Amino acid sequence: MAGRRGKVPGREIVPGFRKQGRAIWTLNATPRKNVYGETLLRTDEGEWRRWDPSRSKLGAALVRTENHVSDLLPLPGTQVLYLGAGHGTTISHLHDILCGEDNNKRGRIVAVDLAPRCLRDLNYLAHSRPGLVPLLADARKHAIVGAIQPQRVDWLFQDVAQASQVDIFISACKRFLNKGGSGLFSLKAASERWDEDGERAMFEKVADMLLSSGMEIIEQIDLAGYEDNHMLFHCRNI
Amino acid sequence: MPCTSRPNVVWIVYDWRCAIVIDAEGQTLDVEAWSGKMSQFLIINRLETIGLGGISDEARKLADRWPDACLHQAGDPELPEHEFPEADEEMIQALNEAALVMSEAGVSKAAGDPDRRLEHLLRASDELRAAWLTMESRMVEWTALFLPTARVERDRARLARSIAESPSLEDLATQLECELPETGPGELEWKSLVAWSDSVRGHRGKLEQMEDSIRDLASKHLPSLSKLLGPLLAARLCVSAHGRMRLARLPAGTVQILGAEKAFFSHLHTGSPPPKHGHIFMHPWISRSPWWIRGKISRMLAAKASVAARCDAFGAEIWKDSAVEAVEARMLEIKSEHPRPPKGRRR
Repeated sequence: MAGRRGKVPGREIVPGFRKQGRAIWTLNATPRKNVYGETLLRTDEGEWRRWDPSRSKLGAALVRTENHVSDLLPLPGTQVLYLGAGHGTTISHLHDILCGEDNNKRGRIVAVDLAPRCLRDLNYLAHSRPGLVPLLADARKHAIVGAIQPQRVDWLFQDVAQASQVDIFISACKRFLNKGGSGLFSLKAASERWDEDGERAMFEKVADMLLSSGMEIIEQIDLAGYEDNHMLFHCRNI
Repeated sequence: MPCTSRPNVVWIVYDWRCAIVIDAEGQTLDVEAWSGKMSQFLIINRLETIGLGGISDEARKLADRWPDACLHQAGDPELPEHEFPEADEEMIQALNEAALVMSEAGVSKAAGDPDRRLEHLLRASDELRAAWLTMESRMVEWTALFLPTARVERDRARLARSIAESPSLEDLATQLECELPETGPGELEWKSLVAWSDSVRGHRGKLEQMEDSIRDLASKHLPSLSKLLGPLLAARLCVSAHGRMRLARLPAGTVQILGAEKAFFSHLHTGSPPPKHGHIFMHPWISRSPWWIRGKISRMLAAKASVAARCDAFGAEIWKDSAVEAVEARMLEIKSEHPRPPKGRRR
């Protein structure tokens, strides 16, 4: 796992996050340890972890977006909510940005998932990354999530890949997202009932649902190539 | 009555460590903070209570003082704009640690989940069976190469034992009463064959042990369904449905074709005939019946199996032998109603 030595990559977008062409990097909060086999790069300004966009939908969106990359990311030191945390690939990079080493940025990331198998990996990660709070719960059960995250957040990400994922996202935004906060929603077309008019029509329908529920859609990012049949909606709660 | 439609309403807002009372303008009227000693055990207790929709002790105290107030969890969008006391560093730290302990407890709870245990057991036994059959057929072919006149296909289980216990090919040939070839295997080659046969034997033993374990677990987890269909088939249906609760919620028609997904979706997409049975075909009442009543019996049996699964999942009385006998009687009735294949229909 010994990382390469090299120059600090690319330019800084937010503290702890750099972009160099299509390569994106976060400042490793647990130096000399990688999470999912990603490349490590040791520099004079700390160790950088390469964010693999084909393993992380948020990573893919950061590479694909046509707006400012920083718009998609939460601010360091804030509290965020992540629904459908999975095995912690994306979570680990978010933690690098939000919390940093030994949580020196005082951030907090609540990672919700329903599968004990995923939580096993997240718990392991949480031990070496203070500020990461794993939660074994159904993202639809707001009382449980609200007990652990009593404050509303400015940044919410959802990647649950199950039927009615749009409704889950909308109700979660209403309950947990501050006015003006960013909600990112990864829609897996295959999880919804098959639409006779095809995938495009389904994406449009979802966009309509988001708009009519009082969300503003800032950008729709097609993740095809990194993650097929997926669309990432970048919304703002108004 | 919804809170917002009442005049002069006040709200109690609470989280795990404090509760406040606010009015419609968001002014704080009363505060009650957790003053007792904070142990991790108590924090977890509170978080679990709130998570299940309960309220904290502080909120209860305020509710006694403000009996007309509406109770809401902090952060609820129905509340008017207000200030909520912020948690300090130490409290957030304590909350995070408690949450991690809760999450770890939740993960270790999954170890006791019979659905997950059954899934591993059943899949492992399927994999083991596949490996065992492949190895056994290689063993038979391998032996037959050296002893072409021996009828080794007859009793494969005994063959594995005979090879594993024979010191040389000559011994095996005498045991099987057949002739030796001109050139036999080398010493190391023979030893490899013996080791192979030994693992065939070992695999068989492990498979039997594994299936006993499935029987044991399934008869406890799905007692009624096991009684009706046998524990192995009951376990297979449960795993196929992704758990007992989901199996209980499936319609009987789905239970009937669990395991025949390929044929079923091919039916939906191309209009090929729908499958009459899935895993349930393994039951001798179906697989040992003539083809023209298999669909009828499997439909009836799936309906009864669905009822049995519901009895298991929702904790009803366990089926008695008489209930299974009633199903069997119905099966025999269907059999006697249709003694001959229908005219004009061919298999």
